[in-house]
Amino acid sequence: MKVIINNKTTETSAKTLFVLAEEMELPQKGVAVAVDNKMIPRAEWESTVLSENMNIVIIKAACGG
Amino acid sequence: MLQFISHYTEKYTYLDSVRMALEGGCRWVQLRMKDASIDEMRSVAVEAQRLCKEANATFIIDDNVALVKEIGADGVHLGKKDMPVYEARHILGEGFIIGGTANTFEDVKGLYLSGVDYVGCGPFRFTTTKKGLSPILGLDGYRSIVTRMREENIDIPVVAIGGITAEDIPEILDTGISGIALSGTVLRADEPVEEMRRLIDLEASKAII
Repeated sequence: MKVIINNKTTETSAKTLFVLAEEMELPQKGVAVAVDNKMIPRAEWESTVLSENMNIVIIKAACGG
Repeated sequence: MLQFISHYTEKYTYLDSVRMALEGGCRWVQLRMKDASIDEMRSVAVEAQRLCKEANATFIIDDNVALVKEIGADGVHLGKKDMPVYEARHILGEGFIIGGTANTFEDVKGLYLSGVDYVGCGPFRFTTTKKGLSPILGLDGYRSIVTRMREENIDIPVVAIGGITAEDIPEILDTGISGIALSGTVLRADEPVEEMRRLIDLEASKAII
């Protein structure tokens, strides 16, 4: 399925935000995520089901620098 | 994606403003207390952080990297005259969000290269909430910044800031900007909690159209 992550179309097999975060190896701390313009707390990542063309914004501590 | 920036008015304290934003459903708060002493800032920050944790909201603090580290906030927002990003990253490490302030595409690119996690870009229009502003951007300013970011493959989220009201939100999001930072427009409303709720609904509904 295609989703939009930070304005970029991205292919993912993840079904939930939680799995997507795992796929992207997002760190445990220093991350904020919004889906379709709404901030989603980490506790709700597992219950957030992804759908085609979903607009995801990820604010994360940059890796490596 | 809405970020609420704390402020005070004759009616409300900094902490009131944070509490109302959270009650209205905001899940991203920046504590900004210009001209406050460090002790005052620390005591408000600890309480604001507690409220944000209860609400599962992301909590960042303006400027004060040491305080962010001390209390374990989620991150820091650095203004143009604050500590350089690389220095803040060196102090905080990878587990903290670092945001920076930009007025031009060149600022955005510079911040991106220095490793910020998001950019607050503005001002959208003239605002009385903040002193010493850079030139206003308007919708065209955002359009051109988003276009150049795409050309140069810069994919960090940009949040529009500066004098934004409810009516502006759909148009600003249409430019490709990822989020909106608000302060005054919420606190000036008759019912700030309701206003926050309305703004969040407005932004979320924008995504469906």
